[in-house]
Amino acid sequence: MKKRKDGGLSPAARIVLLLLPAAAALVSLCIGRISFTPAEVFSAFGGGDSLAAVTVLRLRLPRILTALLVGAGLSAAGCAFQALFANPLATPDTLGVASGASFGAAFGILLGFGMTGIQLTALAAGALAVALTWLAGAGRREFGAIVLSGIMIGSLFSALVSLVKYTADAESQLPAITYFLMGSLQSSGYRTLLFGAPPILICCTVLFLLRWRMNLLPLSEDEARASGVRLSRLRAAVVVCATVITASCVAMCGQVGWVGLLVPHACRMKFGSNHLSLVPASLCVGAAFLTLVDTAARSVSAAEIPVSILTALAGAPLFIVLMRRTD
Amino acid sequence: MLLSVRSGAFAYRGAPRLFSDLSFTLSPGEILAVLGPNGAGKTTLLRAVTGMLPWTEGKTLLDGEDIRTIPPRSLWRRIAYVPQARTAASPFTVLESVLLGRSGHIPLLGAPRSEDLARAEEVLDALSISHLREKKCTQISGGEMQMVLIARALAADPAVLILDEPESNLDFRNQLLVLDTMTRLAREGIACLFNTHYPDHALQRADRAILLHHGTAAVGEAAEIVTEENIARAFGVRAVVGAMETGETTVPHVQPLSVVSPDETPDGEETGAALAALTVISDTADAADAINGCLHEYGDMILGRMGMPVRARGVWIIHVNADGDRARIRAMLLRLSRIPGVRVKAVWGPQ
Repeated sequence: MKKRKDGGLSPAARIVLLLLPAAAALVSLCIGRISFTPAEVFSAFGGGDSLAAVTVLRLRLPRILTALLVGAGLSAAGCAFQALFANPLATPDTLGVASGASFGAAFGILLGFGMTGIQLTALAAGALAVALTWLAGAGRREFGAIVLSGIMIGSLFSALVSLVKYTADAESQLPAITYFLMGSLQSSGYRTLLFGAPPILICCTVLFLLRWRMNLLPLSEDEARASGVRLSRLRAAVVVCATVITASCVAMCGQVGWVGLLVPHACRMKFGSNHLSLVPASLCVGAAFLTLVDTAARSVSAAEIPVSILTALAGAPLFIVLMRRTD
Repeated sequence: MLLSVRSGAFAYRGAPRLFSDLSFTLSPGEILAVLGPNGAGKTTLLRAVTGMLPWTEGKTLLDGEDIRTIPPRSLWRRIAYVPQARTAASPFTVLESVLLGRSGHIPLLGAPRSEDLARAEEVLDALSISHLREKKCTQISGGEMQMVLIARALAADPAVLILDEPESNLDFRNQLLVLDTMTRLAREGIACLFNTHYPDHALQRADRAILLHHGTAAVGEAAEIVTEENIARAFGVRAVVGAMETGETTVPHVQPLSVVSPDETPDGEETGAALAALTVISDTADAADAINGCLHEYGDMILGRMGMPVRARGVWIIHVNADGDRARIRAMLLRLSRIPGVRVKAVWGPQ
């Protein structure tokens, strides 16, 4: 795919990238315990009480929408964090958000909340973790201090998760917490999307609109300031978006690892480091990737495999192949 | 006057002042060099001038306006900053890097438009580095990277260019390329402020210089600042500030000789009255104004009436005799030698 001069995506690349999640979603709608042909899937959208309509519309569609959103969101957040820290190994958890949200979710389960309650406690705890990170690292001139305090706050919340697990009822709550944190889209439905989708959609849109500006983030402090952009505002906007996305994703389906690291990295190899093309590419590839992996997670074996295990199993080899193929 | 600093002083928190009561101006097309030993605060001064660091006292004015009141977007369209070349953090291509220089012209949620792209390509052409445009910044040499950083700064169409040690860590050829580029940009009307470790470069390229040393800052004509005495005081180095005759003209030259303790005063070779006969050859008639201006400024030293310039083989020949302070005569000589298309040499009389 030939790159445009300004570093944007060529029309061909745009079409392919847009078709990718659509194709993945269609495949995913067809495959499962019961398989349908694409024609059956299309007619299912007409509604009715047929088996196809019920399975496709009530069970598969919300889950696929969640997978598309979470995949796109985590990839965009990963992309943002990698730009922010000028480090390709940064992940959405670098500021302690995911650990915080995990603690919130575990705590919600411990208190016996329903899905919506768990989602809200996860969001709240994720926000708390970021706030603590910001407070701990603020006032210091170097941005590195924020990263360090993020790691500290992250491990603090990991310890709290362990504490919750320790106090939880070993018969019912402990397995529930463990399965939830492993990452699964099993419990997703239209109700979880109600709270989960809007923040992810809004923040992904903001990141998409800021995509060219994000190129300034990896520059040195002086260079970035000399571009005339108010760096602190840009950073704040990107941090808020990336953390809200991450917390919302964890709140909906636990910790889905690897996507935020792998997808932006793979896209960087293919499309270069310019965020003008990297952000849209990551959004599309991430959505398609997680949808396909989740389809495998629910259909490979009779018992569902946690999606985090599959993202790592599928992702790591894929990543190595990509790395070896690019110079 | 484009940029001016009024009574600037700067100190890091809890530390003594790096410099105080520093005032200078920078006009379009002028080159101002900042000299000083390591740790004297050269980079700090540049950062304070641009507002990246807040002045402890004093202010910077851009076109008479305090830069603190100018919104960053419009400030950085008029001032551009060229950092020291270092390994690029992100493997952007050269063209993408240069486009980042257009940030001040691109709306917050926008992407580069065709005019931004055109300007970036134009700048790459002007600096003769178009061939690098698709290369990644991580894969080019230090000299090439410095040119890319200058290109990125120029892409913003600035009136003032601030360069932090632009020729550091570069080989001879690349040093010349970078310095020549700066000189050319100044001739096109851009005001340049640059830091340097090389007193030679200040003498050869700058109209005026600032010497930072132990909390003091001396500002003046480059030839008046870069003197043997000042070099001994600020750097603790005994050096000869001389004029080196090449085949065609005279170029200022600083030769360090030995390390001295800072309080040792050098012998005053530079001072005392002297007699000199200068011969100036100008390739173009365009230089006439600059030559006349310079001679007029040092008019008190000129002996007798100057005759009309002689024209032969397409060049103009002027003879000038001077009687005055040795350092001032040398300053006049160096000023003349920096005028484009002008060659000059001097014959010195007995001390």
